Amino acid sequence: MQEILNMKKSIYIIIGAMTIMSISSCWWKAGENNTGIEYAPDMYYSKGYEPFSQFSDSMKYRYNPYLMTMREPVEGSIAIGQMDYQYGYDNTSRGYDSAGLHLAMTGGLTEAEQMEGARLFGIYCSVCHGMTGGNDGPVSSKQAVLKPSWANYQDKTIKELPIGKIYHVITYGKNNMGSYAYALTPKERWSVATYVKRLSNMDSLGHIPAMQIIAAQENKIDTGSAISVIKTEPEVKVEAHTSQKH
Amino acid sequence: MVKHLLKRNLEVKSIVISIVLLLNLSFSAQAADGKLSPEATKGLEVFKANCVSCHAMDVKVLGPALQGVHTKRSDAWLLKWIKNNEKLRASGDKDAIAVFNDNAQASMNVFENLSDAEINSVISYFKEWTPPVKIKDESKPETPSFYSSATLYILLFLIVILCIVLIILRRTKHNLRATAQQLDGVPVEVSEPSAWQLRKAYYKKRINPTIFKMTIGTIILGALATYGFYFGVTEIAVQQGYRPDQPIKYSHKLHAGDLKIDCKYCHSTAEKSKQASIPSVNTCMNCHKGVQMREKYDGEISPEIKKIYAAMDYDPDKPAGQQFGPNPKPIRWVRIHNLPDHAVFNHSQHVKGAGVSCQTCHGPIQEMEVVEQYATLQMAWCINCHQENKIDVENNPYYEKLHEKIKAEKNNKNSPYGKYYTVDGKINVTAAQNGGLECSKCHY
Repeated sequence: MQEILNMKKSIYIIIGAMTIMSISSCWWKAGENNTGIEYAPDMYYSKGYEPFSQFSDSMKYRYNPYLMTMREPVEGSIAIGQMDYQYGYDNTSRGYDSAGLHLAMTGGLTEAEQMEGARLFGIYCSVCHGMTGGNDGPVSSKQAVLKPSWANYQDKTIKELPIGKIYHVITYGKNNMGSYAYALTPKERWSVATYVKRLSNMDSLGHIPAMQIIAAQENKIDTGSAISVIKTEPEVKVEAHTSQKH
Repeated sequence: MVKHLLKRNLEVKSIVISIVLLLNLSFSAQAADGKLSPEATKGLEVFKANCVSCHAMDVKVLGPALQGVHTKRSDAWLLKWIKNNEKLRASGDKDAIAVFNDNAQASMNVFENLSDAEINSVISYFKEWTPPVKIKDESKPETPSFYSSATLYILLFLIVILCIVLIILRRTKHNLRATAQQLDGVPVEVSEPSAWQLRKAYYKKRINPTIFKMTIGTIILGALATYGFYFGVTEIAVQQGYRPDQPIKYSHKLHAGDLKIDCKYCHSTAEKSKQASIPSVNTCMNCHKGVQMREKYDGEISPEIKKIYAAMDYDPDKPAGQQFGPNPKPIRWVRIHNLPDHAVFNHSQHVKGAGVSCQTCHGPIQEMEVVEQYATLQMAWCINCHQENKIDVENNPYYEKLHEKIKAEKNNKNSPYGKYYTVDGKINVTAAQNGGLECSKCHY
């Protein structure tokens, strides 16, 4: 009798230990929806505000919009060193037209900034417009909706488009194209716009002309002289970070 | 006999008729699609090349749906409008101004490059267009898969039960036969004890069974405890392999892999900031204002894309641009890579400064349907990379000063900078040698 009891006991102990092990290894190890065991969770889920962390307690954090740690900037605020984010043209067809007439780049672009324009074009524009503006990007070739109505950058529509309008479109977007102000600083937008202009003057051999040649043709890209960007529209609209809402 | 033949004949006839009917049906289904006249077919091509980026026939894209537009306006008016709507509006045409105002004053492109004949063919396409017939795909009826995991387990369980029953029945049969033989007076054969049984009896006498079992138990428990301890020490708080369900089933495989969208298109601050940033819904809307995948969901917007619209409270049927509605609700993405507070990682420093590709730390993201944590993010993993990888002193402007110092002391092998020259005259500095192992670089 004693023997049977002993046997039962040891079996229970072994089975119990194994279950505990298997259960615990489930919550130890991360996978699927489980983060695994975390020591000192306060270190992982900071009490201090960190970017991209969210709260769940809507009562405690009722002053945080949408329970985000990121606060929405006050209307009209400008980040330090971002004064050139001011853009004086409205997102209307009137603003578009007047940007084409009056908007010009102040200060030239260095060679490195021009190269940067080509690189940024590769990241942000080429998915739809193709590497040389042929509208044959990997996305637009699969989704006809994202294909512009004109054939390519060498088309008359783009060739004759003033650089101010190109900048305006990068800033606000047009038709199915969205705004790229979230990713590109004004300087970067100018370097991309310049690269677009250069691509539109590409010859049939695929040679992309230098900026100076286009500047002479266009008589718009201003190299050096500090003309005020805003000429006609008196009210200054601050774009700041409002475009990066969430 | 005659009756039989007649019956047979009837059968054949009915089969023939049903076949003809079936063929007819399938032909009529095809005809609905390819009924366009050559004129309208040409128009469809022009439409596809010029108009689809803003218009669709049955749904609003950017411009209004064009279904039945030929009944509202005259052909001559449509021709003028398509060719140069700005001129038409400037001429003071009331209809034209009304259309412009109804669509949030979004001006349509001018199509001076299209000839009158081409535009007329598009108009004839409008006239001949019929809404696509929704034919339910019955070729693939939904059969429940036989080998679903639950059924498999039930089957296995039944097999095990049956086996046990079989063994019990065999034993019972054997016992019954033995009893019957005993009752009949047949002498029972007593077999000699086998070598195994003898050995068992011998050890039973010599070893205390309780101690034996305790020893075995201790060994097993000890092994388990050792494993648990080892596991706990090495794997606790390591979240490698964590791949939570996200509120939107966003596929990196589709976007970064198949569509080849650059990582920085969405994670645009990876080069400028400490964070690589979760893209705002604005970024999604760059494409998904137009791409709604209606063709995949029977004319409805894809349920996952609907979630983006819900997050920014955007109404795809309203003629407004990329705008937030009054009640936006941010998407609560689940954070995967979570460094504890006491460690600092800066994306721009690694992406822009060192030129490390995203995949080095995040793994083959472009192949992941659901993103999981690829690296351990342990300190040893950081240090390993810092010790193994050389920094590009010569071509990276970030290391200009370091490069000058190294060049100045090229011939002095004992100086802290001169020793970075290898035997063949190349500069070999790892991140660790350039202060990449200092505690306060990451822990502050």
